[in-house]
Amino acid sequence: MEMVSTVQNTDVKQKDADRALVVAVTTRAVFDAAAGDVYGMGVAFPLLQKVNERLLEKNPAESLLFDVVLIATDSQQQSSRIISSTSHYGLEVGRFCFSSREDLVETLVVNNVQLFLSTDRDEALQVSQKGVLSALLGRQEAPSESLRVMLCGDAIVRPDCDPVPASRGAAQSFSARLGEMRGRFGVSGSPLSIVLVTSSGGSKSCGVALQTLRSRGLSVDEAYCLAGAPRGPILSLLRPHFLLGDGVIDLED
Amino acid sequence: MVKMSLDPVQVKELNVSPSPNGDSRASWEEEEVEEEEEDRLGIATKTKPVSVTDLSSVSPSLCFRLAARMSRTQKLSLPDSRFPFQEASDRGSSELFTTSLFKVWCLRCPPVAHQWGGASDKVTGRRARKVEGGVFFPKPENAVTVAVSSRVLFRTELEQRVFEQKGVEEYLRYQIEHENEPFAPGPAFPFVKALETVNARLRELYPQSEELFDIVLVTYNHAHVGIRLINTINHHNLFIERFCMTGGSSPIGYLKAWQTNLYLSADADKVREALAEGIAAATMFMTEKLTEVSESQLRVAFDGDAVLFSDESERIFKAHGLDKFFQHEQDNEDTLLDHGPLKGFLEALGKLQKKFYAKGQRLDCPIRTYLVTARSAASSGIRALKTLRAWGLEIDEALFLAGAPKGPMLEKIRPHIYFDDQMFHVEGAAEMGTVAAHVPYGVAQKHNQPQKPGARK
Repeated sequence: MEMVSTVQNTDVKQKDADRALVVAVTTRAVFDAAAGDVYGMGVAFPLLQKVNERLLEKNPAESLLFDVVLIATDSQQQSSRIISSTSHYGLEVGRFCFSSREDLVETLVVNNVQLFLSTDRDEALQVSQKGVLSALLGRQEAPSESLRVMLCGDAIVRPDCDPVPASRGAAQSFSARLGEMRGRFGVSGSPLSIVLVTSSGGSKSCGVALQTLRSRGLSVDEAYCLAGAPRGPILSLLRPHFLLGDGVIDLED
Repeated sequence: MVKMSLDPVQVKELNVSPSPNGDSRASWEEEEVEEEEEDRLGIATKTKPVSVTDLSSVSPSLCFRLAARMSRTQKLSLPDSRFPFQEASDRGSSELFTTSLFKVWCLRCPPVAHQWGGASDKVTGRRARKVEGGVFFPKPENAVTVAVSSRVLFRTELEQRVFEQKGVEEYLRYQIEHENEPFAPGPAFPFVKALETVNARLRELYPQSEELFDIVLVTYNHAHVGIRLINTINHHNLFIERFCMTGGSSPIGYLKAWQTNLYLSADADKVREALAEGIAAATMFMTEKLTEVSESQLRVAFDGDAVLFSDESERIFKAHGLDKFFQHEQDNEDTLLDHGPLKGFLEALGKLQKKFYAKGQRLDCPIRTYLVTARSAASSGIRALKTLRAWGLEIDEALFLAGAPKGPMLEKIRPHIYFDDQMFHVEGAAEMGTVAAHVPYGVAQKHNQPQKPGARK
């Protein structure tokens, strides 16, 4: 029997469900159980909120905003505690979902989640195999001017080699929406940065990735073509907040 | 080969037949072994008249001895008008050698007749980029990584102007509009092409080795320009598979991540940042006149002080003048000079050269290195050579100009790139068509005054 309950956060103005870019994150990724501190998502949250603020500055009637759904899959966690912590840290969460591990994917689908964020690689992979686009949260505390979203170009270039074909459609529509959102800002001073990394393949395939993304409406800010060079050193410099990609990203520096 | 006479000293005629490895010993050298210890620059007790008509096959150790004998046993007067490091006013002279100057052109091995980029070398149309076998994506720690910015690899002056006059949005719009128009080659282009030539030869000899040149495009251009840059790379058949387009943030971190051995940029600030991080770097400028360079042999020329060596001697000269400089050099002849920012790169070149020697390709080596220094061979040059020797670094040709202008000499050598710490020499070289790169290091930077007005991009 399913027990999924969704609670709207009354502290936060609700977004237009059809137009918003719905991003979901588990409480584990937000709250460190032991310390009770905001973690992982903690760095990304204020930046994501800044994107929304800047979008509304440009257009108070803007509907293409980030809409965050916080999902609790651990029945041990008290719902009231989660809601009060969220309020305490001023996190702009639109909805709370109290679910279970087994029902995670269903919760995501029901809530029309376009991007699922996790600190757990296996969890992210499992979810994307069920057709919901997933990304890893970057583990870094360094301050940043913008929310940095990293895309791995290898799957874009060779879709037949995509380890997670199920979420390919979701990836395409997400890049289109993200591109639209990015396009609201100019080249410099944007609160949102799009970073493309291709790991294998040479400069030509990176060029194909750039063109493919552009055809979907997503213009990339930074591009790195590694052509087989180790990813770790470059990743630690790139400091992405969200890493979308090939399902087998190793975030170790 | 250049014939020269050394004034005021007469050097005995040499009958030397060049040996395949270039280490020929002259007959009089053998005589001297009794007088002097092997490999030591001793002081000869009697002066023998000795004349040299052809120094083409003289080994560096012979040059050492020659120079040492000159400095110790003969009276050499350097004319007042020629000082090392001085910014000579009459640099228009096309005379390679003047009789009033003492220069020794030390050659390690006889130069092979080189192709000066004949028709057979030129690539017409697109060659197939797919090559049988060989390593194409070497690990950064194994390769000699050369990072170039887009502004030195290609000519982007027009686009720069758009950026400066109309701002970044218009600049990017312009770039995207002209995406299918490849850029023209920039000052680093011939150098990069030569690196690829060396790679092709290395792959032939060592198909599984990752010890190759790895050329990385590191630009703080926005990725919007990426497609145009990639199109240009393809158009010119360049083998650049790695790049970083940082969209405005500093590329220095990426240089370290790529374990960069040499960074070439048009931006002096970025170059200084790189130098501060211990990465060999130099600023390049576009020149209107470009001498044709070899397409089969990479030639890299280095200044000595503040490039290969530290600027300690230059400091002495600048602070205390020429006499003190000479004295200091003589007193410290046996003390090694400290290393300079480009020493590591010379070392990396030497490692690759040895790979060719190991396969019996010393004479036909596609890498050749040159030291072009204002030091004079008789005195201050000895310390430079000793230092190089102690470091285990080999340099193919060492040219001691004793303060003469470098332009004409470089025009003869035709290096793909020449590194100097003084803008004066960089400009002088450029005027004669040599691609020169400025290493903004050391005490000379306080005195650097570009002769020409106008922005350098």
